[in-house]
Amino acid sequence: MAKILVVDDESSIRFLYSQELAEEGHEVLTAATALEASEILQAQPVELLVLDIKLKNESGLDLLQKLVKERHNLPVILCTAFSCYRDDFSAWLADGYVVKSSDLQELKDEIKRVLAKRSR
Amino acid sequence: MNWECCWAKEKIAPDECPYIAEGEKELCSSLGKRVVEKCVECPRFKTDLRKLRDMGYPLTGILPHILAEFADQRAQLLSMGSFLDSKTREINFLHELGVVLQTSMDLDEVLSVAMTAITAGKGFAMNRAFLLLADKERQFLEGHLGVGPRTYEEAWQTWADIDRNNFTLKEMAKHFYDTKLSSEKAKFHDLLERLTVPLADEQHILNRVLNDSKPVLVENASAQPELYGSFAEILGSSSFIIVPLISRKRRIGLIIADNCFTHKPITLQDMQSLETFSFPVAFAIERASLYERLQEEVDKLTSANLKLQEQQELIVKMEKMALVGKITSNIAHSIRNPLMIIGGFARSLLKTVAEQDPKREYLESIVRETRQLEEVLGEVLTYSDSLYPTMDSWDVNQLVSNVCQGLSEKFQERKIQCSLELGPDLPTVYIDYKQISYCLRTILNDSVEAIAGAGEIRLATMRNDDYVILAISDSSRKSELPAGETAASHLFPRQESSSSLGLPLCATIFEKNGIPFAIDYGDDGMSVTIKLPITREA
Repeated sequence: MAKILVVDDESSIRFLYSQELAEEGHEVLTAATALEASEILQAQPVELLVLDIKLKNESGLDLLQKLVKERHNLPVILCTAFSCYRDDFSAWLADGYVVKSSDLQELKDEIKRVLAKRSR
Repeated sequence: MNWECCWAKEKIAPDECPYIAEGEKELCSSLGKRVVEKCVECPRFKTDLRKLRDMGYPLTGILPHILAEFADQRAQLLSMGSFLDSKTREINFLHELGVVLQTSMDLDEVLSVAMTAITAGKGFAMNRAFLLLADKERQFLEGHLGVGPRTYEEAWQTWADIDRNNFTLKEMAKHFYDTKLSSEKAKFHDLLERLTVPLADEQHILNRVLNDSKPVLVENASAQPELYGSFAEILGSSSFIIVPLISRKRRIGLIIADNCFTHKPITLQDMQSLETFSFPVAFAIERASLYERLQEEVDKLTSANLKLQEQQELIVKMEKMALVGKITSNIAHSIRNPLMIIGGFARSLLKTVAEQDPKREYLESIVRETRQLEEVLGEVLTYSDSLYPTMDSWDVNQLVSNVCQGLSEKFQERKIQCSLELGPDLPTVYIDYKQISYCLRTILNDSVEAIAGAGEIRLATMRNDDYVILAISDSSRKSELPAGETAASHLFPRQESSSSLGLPLCATIFEKNGIPFAIDYGDDGMSVTIKLPITREA
């Protein structure tokens, strides 16, 4: 199981993810902004980032680019309400892309896949 | 006195003078004319003069001198008349050519007139003529057009044809322009290539003539290799004229002409006539070339203007599309997040509620409804994407395999066997991959829902002319259709009451992309045939 950081500006979504992913046995940290996420990442090691694209006044894709530059080994899954960013070059930097759904199975499967790939 | 000649008779019968020909009978009744035109050269008159002299008439001694002078003057007059006739014909000929040359803006038409005039018997009557033009970059003097026969046989044939047709010069030029221009270019292609010289080679005879701006009449060139090099050998002729084409001090090109078949000597008069002719020709060629270039520039400008208009329309369209995309995207974001939260928490709660708990039914209802709303939302967003498709060439077998792989779990769950018969070596199809994947997924989902219990879905791909056919069939759908409905209206309902957007959206996508599709209900079940175009034009 892994330590996962969830970055989303919606508190309810952060809470839902925390519950569901904790049930899967993961340790879940949450952040509402890119700044908060950066602070957490500097303070402790994280194995996977679940990142929303539309944060309040920020872009998750900008944070993704910054992370790719600074932390090459951190896998990132973009989890967003938008399907259109799948074709965006910036989004290709992520290890996975999931469109938000009330059924979190797809996200859970993607987390398993990405972690398995990283552990190989 | 009995005279041998008729000079003493006012009127004579036609058979009295053997020198009066058919058509000259008016001379029989006109003594004055008859004496001037016939008697002065008649041997019988000279006999009569001798008789008169023998009779002692003193004037008969000086009459032969007067008659000799008269004959000489008359011969001169006739010669001048003939010269004037020839000049009049030349002026008329130049006038006729001038009219065409001054009015035509078509380079090929100008060249046809010029070259026909040089080689036609009614024109300058040269056997062959070659036109060399300076290229646009002014690097080469290029062989552009050759006119005339290549062999003796062809020469006789051509001249016989000309005699038979009896065309005017203008008609000949038009005939040449309409039927022979390209074949003549091809006929002399090798020779024209060999005649091409770099303009920088100032020692070459052609460049010398062009730079001097004066025509040259060359006789016996093969005897002067130091002057003409291999030029005479290439031309296959030892005597020829080279006339420069100069327009406003600009070197346009050259005309080379010879009589290599008739071997008729080329005179200075020929050269002067051709030189006179070359001025309007050079001017007409330059003007037609400039017009051609102007036309090219106008075409470029028109095309650029058209592109600009298209781009402007595209920008306006894209702005509208971007706005639509932005609005739908924002709506999606605003709806999807709350939906996800509601449905997500309902699913979480459902896991903690016992099977017999009455609240479970409420939670299941929330989960079901949110799932349906999420599906509708997904379809609305697909419609938004379909407004501006991204067309490209794709492997249809790959597309089918990917879609089926994505639905494999669902097929297993519903005990549906999915069999693929994918045609080998199929060409790529020109489609929007995302949209067609969506359509196929939607049709397969619809089949899955329609099949009661275990069943089979078959997918096949095959080539058919300019299309790749994608055929989908399921074995378990009932063949009965509701009254008044066609297969298409049943499978792809357009009514507002339709609960799903999926199939109507598929029909819209197919229609918008010009993809023919057909639905058929038979005894074996339902089949959908989609014709995906191989090329952009199909």
